[in-house]
Amino acid sequence: MKCESCKKRHATVHLTELTGNEKRERHLCEECAHNVTSHFTKMPSPTDILTSLINQVAPEIGEMSKNICPVCGISYLEFRSHGYLGCPMDYTIFQKGIVPLLERMHGNSQHVGKVPPHAGKDVVKKNEIMQLRKELDKAVKKEEYEKAAEIRDRIYELSGNADGT
Amino acid sequence: MELNDIATDKTGEWLRGTGRESDIVISTRIRLARNIVPYPFLSRATPSQKEEIEAVIHRKIKEANISSDLLYINLSELSAIDRLFLVERHLISREHAGGDGNRGVAIGKSETISLMVNEEDHLRIQAIRSGFELKDTWRIIDEIDSALEKKLNYAYSPRFGYLTACPTNVGTGMRASVMLHLPALGMTRHIEKVFNAVAKLGLVVRGLYGEGTQVSGDLYQISNQFTLGKSETEILEIIEGVIPRITSYERMARKALLSENRDQLEDRIWRSYGMLKVARMISSEEIMHLLSQVRMGVNLGLINDIEMKTLNELFILTLPGHLQKLEGKELDPVQRNIIRASIIRKRLG
Repeated sequence: MKCESCKKRHATVHLTELTGNEKRERHLCEECAHNVTSHFTKMPSPTDILTSLINQVAPEIGEMSKNICPVCGISYLEFRSHGYLGCPMDYTIFQKGIVPLLERMHGNSQHVGKVPPHAGKDVVKKNEIMQLRKELDKAVKKEEYEKAAEIRDRIYELSGNADGT
Repeated sequence: MELNDIATDKTGEWLRGTGRESDIVISTRIRLARNIVPYPFLSRATPSQKEEIEAVIHRKIKEANISSDLLYINLSELSAIDRLFLVERHLISREHAGGDGNRGVAIGKSETISLMVNEEDHLRIQAIRSGFELKDTWRIIDEIDSALEKKLNYAYSPRFGYLTACPTNVGTGMRASVMLHLPALGMTRHIEKVFNAVAKLGLVVRGLYGEGTQVSGDLYQISNQFTLGKSETEILEIIEGVIPRITSYERMARKALLSENRDQLEDRIWRSYGMLKVARMISSEEIMHLLSQVRMGVNLGLINDIEMKTLNELFILTLPGHLQKLEGKELDPVQRNIIRASIIRKRLG
């Protein structure tokens, strides 16, 4: 069969075009087919698909992938591929990527629990105030106003001290 | 005290069958993940750094005077059977047993506390109690942690809390888990409902040996998924609130089974008891199922001549590591099945 476009070369590409309910078959040679199909969207390569997927699920990876921790030498991509960080410093170095990750994992990215004594009195106090604020919210919701007043006073007391010293 | 002082015919305090809700709650366990400054996490640590980390933590554990009877075991020197034995007793994790390089564990005599050195994190502290005892278990582990905190420089940031190798543990570094025996919910196919309800509260359900392990003997572990953004007390309060609902659900299911299918239920339980008393070979899968049935029979007052402690212990004492440790040699599955059946017959008289 001859190519229906140039009518010279042998037709090796057979296309089926669909317009509405109408079906039209076209028989072209490779060269003419290339001209016809080049305006079709190019099939994305597997790498392109993966990148766009990653960008949808975890947009920070692309941006962060080249970051390397100067302390332990782990890259952000390495961390994301096996899930383990290399050293405590990574939490700071990769903070931009880790915060959204933690938000997804824990629904939060701010610690409110126990504080080791070496972290300093201010941290202990800040943490206690945060904890008390949560309790205050709870007490108000439960309409336990006496308890709420007590908690409020304790917060005043603590934050007064924090400012005063 | 040496490893061989850990009796192969007895178990730790946590299987005694005492404590709140102990008809359904087998045990309460809390673990804390900690790392020390200025070392990298273990996946990036060199062998010599691992050695150093282990030496520092081992020394500080001694100095902190946590308990006078602490036994420190160097895991890299133990045989595979001995390590399996410790995993089965919940004194070390599977990962810790299968790891490499310098690593160890400090165990208290009653087996209530264990401190794993160079597990996934530099230090994993664990406290485990019989029954539903979250507050008491937290008190024990918090005290140990605070004592060690005075001696060790933990990796910590005000923003992210205790820094851990895997971000799933960061913050409090705390995983609290309650082991439950839920045969009736399994039988009546209501267990899925429990899973779904529990998931909504940020809790997860796992098998007997934690993450990725299969459920056997109707034993389930319920634990917190989130470790960041909630304080230790808040997390414990969530679990404290949900467990009694599950236990009362299980009791309801048992009652319903008794009133609607009493004959079938009794038959099932007594057949299981009979099987345990006469069988000459029992596989590890079968034993879990039989023990589970009999345990429920004792709870329902159908069987009266066997103690809860004995049953709880048999779940652990008949595991492969225990059998091989007891016999002092490696055994193939067939040999294990024979010995397992004979131990059970002896125990149940």
